[in-house]
Amino acid sequence: MMGKDVVNLIVAGVGGQGSILASHIIADAAVEAGYSARVGETYGAAMRVGAVHSHIRIGKDIKSPLIAEDEADVLIALEPLEALRVGVKYLSKQSKVLLNPRPILPADVNFGFAKYPSLDDIYNALEKLGAKVYKVEATKIALEVGNIRTANVVMLGALAALKILPFEEKYLKDSVLRRVPPKTVEVNERAFDAGKEAIKRQK
Amino acid sequence: MHYIGIDEPGKRILLMGNEAIARGAIEAGVQVAAGYPGTPSSEVIETLAKVAKEYNMHVQWSTNEKIAFEVAAGAAIVGARALMTCKNAGFNWIMDTFLTIGYGGVRGGLVIFSGDDPDAHYSSTEQDVRLLGAYANFLTLEPMDQQEAKDMTKDAFDISEEVQLPVIVRGVTRLNHASGDVVYGEIRKERNKIAFDKHWGMPYRWNVYGPPGPVAKHEWLINQQPKLKEIAEKSKYNVLQMKGEGKPAIITSGVAAAYVFDVLRKEGLDDEFNILKVGTTYPLPYKKIKELIEKSSKLIFIEEGDPVIELQTRAWMHEEKITIDAKGKMYEGILKPYGELNQDIVKEAIYKFLGKEIKTDEKRKELKKSISELIAPRSSMWCPGCPHIGSFWSIRKALQNVKAKVPIINIGIGCYEMSGYGVYGKQIKAEYTTESKRHVVLYPYEMSDTEYVMGSEFGLLQGEYFANYKDGPIIGVTGDSSFFHANLPALANAVYNNAKGVYIILDNTWTAMTGHQPNPTTGLKATLEPAKKIDIEKVVRAMGVEFVKVADPYNIEETINVLTEALKYDGLAVVILRRECALQAVRYKRLVKPIYKVIEDKCTGCRICTQIGCPAVTFDFDKKKAGVDETLCVGCSLCAQVCPFDAIVEGE
Repeated sequence: MMGKDVVNLIVAGVGGQGSILASHIIADAAVEAGYSARVGETYGAAMRVGAVHSHIRIGKDIKSPLIAEDEADVLIALEPLEALRVGVKYLSKQSKVLLNPRPILPADVNFGFAKYPSLDDIYNALEKLGAKVYKVEATKIALEVGNIRTANVVMLGALAALKILPFEEKYLKDSVLRRVPPKTVEVNERAFDAGKEAIKRQK
Repeated sequence: MHYIGIDEPGKRILLMGNEAIARGAIEAGVQVAAGYPGTPSSEVIETLAKVAKEYNMHVQWSTNEKIAFEVAAGAAIVGARALMTCKNAGFNWIMDTFLTIGYGGVRGGLVIFSGDDPDAHYSSTEQDVRLLGAYANFLTLEPMDQQEAKDMTKDAFDISEEVQLPVIVRGVTRLNHASGDVVYGEIRKERNKIAFDKHWGMPYRWNVYGPPGPVAKHEWLINQQPKLKEIAEKSKYNVLQMKGEGKPAIITSGVAAAYVFDVLRKEGLDDEFNILKVGTTYPLPYKKIKELIEKSSKLIFIEEGDPVIELQTRAWMHEEKITIDAKGKMYEGILKPYGELNQDIVKEAIYKFLGKEIKTDEKRKELKKSISELIAPRSSMWCPGCPHIGSFWSIRKALQNVKAKVPIINIGIGCYEMSGYGVYGKQIKAEYTTESKRHVVLYPYEMSDTEYVMGSEFGLLQGEYFANYKDGPIIGVTGDSSFFHANLPALANAVYNNAKGVYIILDNTWTAMTGHQPNPTTGLKATLEPAKKIDIEKVVRAMGVEFVKVADPYNIEETINVLTEALKYDGLAVVILRRECALQAVRYKRLVKPIYKVIEDKCTGCRICTQIGCPAVTFDFDKKKAGVDETLCVGCSLCAQVCPFDAIVEGE
């Protein structure tokens, strides 16, 4: 575990993208692999398109569900603005970010009260914070494999390819197949593999 | 079988806190479970409902928390093991029966689970129910993690039967909506026998007025307290860790304890503190507290919510004439009595308590500040295609039709409460006016004028009317579940006292905001078996309301017309806006429509479509053109209906 006894991950996105399911899949895999895990979820009252941030902590003796500031090792961002919102608070100086570049515009932007930052500004800011950023076109890939709702699992495939989790990849993949709706197992398997490929191409 | 019901003691599994509570109840052999949905508590009943058949449990969503509590208490009176669940605000609804049931107690184990919400993530207040345990003289348990949530809930039934009183389990968002690994225990196979004896163990046991009367039954309740104290002193959930005489001490509990343990370990301070982790918030384990205080140099209380342990301990210290330099949330303490804790806050408090400084990285702080300026806020919105989008647009247009000066829109609790969440990017200044003042509202999320709790929408409307408010129409907006939960007595009051105003019921046939639980309008029970539907329209008419109209909020013209007519009506007008929640309609394939697109040549950039407040409707300020996010649109057509230039059309 990179010489540490805890791995801290955050899944960030907006409501409806499956951030929370993704975080449960990671933690479930960790528990199956024999680790302790905690998931702490933060989302607003809105069911869709509100900011959703889910903390996952994996280790041998952990108690609390929330990551401390500057201590996230990995950020899985399903939406770029949310990557920045979470990243600025939690990313450690040696972190990795998986970034889906597809924006979901907030009301504040559509109503003209705020500006959506450019993707370049977002990449630069994340790098300045100390992150290595991997672009994963999760929305695009999910549409290509046949179901936009698998974008979260595309990101989990990408996470597997980073080889940062302290357990074998099969635990993660098994957890995906266990936790997604039964009718969508096949398309999610394709999504997972496509996410893995997306990282391999960048290496 | 669903994983929550698997009978495999020793199995290790990831559970959400609410699932862990459900599992504890299953392991205890619960027979009746009732609740009203409320974040972060709803998953307990939902989880139990998944295995209700296999374990022969009655599991129900009640119409409100008071009924749920009475269903559970009635079951316990005839000997069943019963569980009642609610969120912090819901606890207020049960207070009448809750404070009376202790005058004689229960026969079967009765456990009340409350999901508190420090930081008010999903709530109107940060209310801490632990003090209510002390108030009612009921044993109160506070789990630190999901394992304890499961174990404490299971044990709570035994304790309740031992002391013949209800037991409270208090969770918080960071426990109930957090997940952790849990080891399953054995499931109790035997079920309590169901029987009734009116004089069981006490004359007129279930009737506070029956001789010897309420005072004698209050005396019985007080006389049970030594038993509770003994249980607390022996409880395995109160853990004292002494690391050395003269070291500083921490008293902590619940999720706060989880932060304390993580921070001390990370900071290498494990051996520097004597710690008492409290599991029984009421009564407190005073023998352990005494040992801790007598052998420590100073003390800090770290607890989530109000200073409940601190308050009780300080009072007890005064009586015992024990003094120690103690800090917490009281008397300008180190911690704030509002908001929630986390590792960073706990770390800061511990260092401050020790009189040490935390090194800060000023350069990183500066960097973060400059990056923060880039981040646009993301205000809450309804889901794409939400019927409330049509409803609130129509309310705004109908108010314009009647040239309303300063309307008052009273809003209850449910998804429609987002009409009061505001737009974060917009700056609002406080005003100090003596006359009614009209504020220009362009977006549905700024429309709500009063917003507190379920039911306040209709009660406040009546107060505004009877105070003779004349500067604009008075409106109340409620939801279908809220109608049955809190608005029926208010409706009777309005008819009886002849209140005038417009009362709008947004009927989307689900208790949507808390995760689409079924209610009396859905046609399903908690277990998803068929249930009788109650027709709101018939109820309102039967109550004596003469103006009752129904419209479909997906049909803007019809809805505006009905609302305009209601606003012109001299009396109490009730309008039911009925359309199924879009998320459920899409999920069950009852809403299958092509998505919409903008014909850019026709779009004039007037931005009227963005004013409906649908997340799928975007606006490009460089091109000055509207757009529809094809990954979000569900095809409700509301944006197309409001576009004055026919620029939004069905896609292929």
